[in-house]
Amino acid sequence: MKTNMNTMNVETIYKQKVQTQLLEFLCRQFLVEEQDIELNESLVDTGIIDSMGLIEIASYIETNYAFTVTEEMMNRANFGSVIKIVDFINKHDASNGSPTKK
Amino acid sequence: MKRCSKCILSENFPKIKFDDNGVCNFCNDKMFFSTEKKQIQEAEIAINKMFDEARGGREYDAIVCYSGGKDSTYTLKLAVEKYKLKILSFTLDNGFISPVAFRNIEKVVSKLGVDHVTYRPSYKFMKKLFRVSSTFSIYNSKTLTRISANCNSCISIVNITALKYAIEKKVPFILAGFTLGQIPANTIYYKNNYEFFKESRQVVLNKLKNELGDDVSRYMEIDGSLLEEKKAYPHNINLLCLEDITEEEIIERIKPLGWVQPKDVDGCSTNCQINSFNNYVHVKKFGYSPYELELSHLIRKGLLTRDEALNKLNDQPQDQIDHAMKELKISKESLLESGSIVTKASVNGMDKL
Repeated sequence: MKTNMNTMNVETIYKQKVQTQLLEFLCRQFLVEEQDIELNESLVDTGIIDSMGLIEIASYIETNYAFTVTEEMMNRANFGSVIKIVDFINKHDASNGSPTKK
Repeated sequence: MKRCSKCILSENFPKIKFDDNGVCNFCNDKMFFSTEKKQIQEAEIAINKMFDEARGGREYDAIVCYSGGKDSTYTLKLAVEKYKLKILSFTLDNGFISPVAFRNIEKVVSKLGVDHVTYRPSYKFMKKLFRVSSTFSIYNSKTLTRISANCNSCISIVNITALKYAIEKKVPFILAGFTLGQIPANTIYYKNNYEFFKESRQVVLNKLKNELGDDVSRYMEIDGSLLEEKKAYPHNINLLCLEDITEEEIIERIKPLGWVQPKDVDGCSTNCQINSFNNYVHVKKFGYSPYELELSHLIRKGLLTRDEALNKLNDQPQDQIDHAMKELKISKESLLESGSIVTKASVNGMDKL
């Protein structure tokens, strides 16, 4: 029980850090305020970015995390919101020491 | 209007702040250029590797999107002479290309010995597209910090047409003449992914289709049957981003190709006669020019002086603005309503375009 809670905490802390850094990048790169960003909504549908912005986000991920974003990974399931992007990074980042990483 | 004392970003530019010396927060961002320099170096290595691996063995190595302007002319020269690529150059005639730019295109492609195609969509459609793009809220304002709405629509057609050619002819690279400031350093090169981007463009496409009908699909979408033929999407690459070169140097290097500076365009363009109107609409809507970011970037890199940048911004010939408004049948009154949705009934003369 205690081990499971520790595992969840490590993953939660990691994802919180990823989210904070991602939001900083989005605000800086796209000249928006954090309160403009809905975490569970599409960044394109809410007008934060256009399609080129998705390329910038993919490039940001490759620069800052230990994996390559392939053509097959570029889909709404992975890029459809801030929360989905964070989950995507959590799943693939080779430097993420979370025990639950697949 | 207050502007940064170092660059030319104005007080209406998003998220701008000025320090006590009147210098903006973008100029004061010390991290920005070290990050960008690293991105350029990495991009250069990756691009050279891609070219080395793909060069030769096919009809064309790359398609160059060639507007006839100085930047795409220099890009074409680089592609042929520096990178030794077999090129198909392609020009989109949006109906407002300067006659001098057309003559430049003829001379340059002849001198460089490249194959060239010009694609001219229906002028009637292009006028309607520009009219709708500039008087309706087609694009979200946050996505227009470095481009006008009309330029966004025009470039969409350029990109889709170039991609169609690349898929049909199995060309691995599409080259364009964008500079840093027009595009961020992390998009110097990228793998195209039409299906993924199409989903993200759907809201914009639906708005355009609502006003312009199915013709939008002909020019701004790719038919499924063509997509089935593709083996791989091309890479889009912006070669000019790898070069540290001033505008004057670019012009000196393309003069031997027969290129001459057009005098029949505005200060921010070297090929397009609707550009001044596009800038006018953007300033009216948002309070700043779509060229402020790009020109400020060139100033910070030492590739343009502040005075040169201000001269470009201020050189917006009224006769060209008036001509575009006449061609598009746009009145000043309808422009005043820009930024809000305008009902179709209130846009007079749509059918007469």
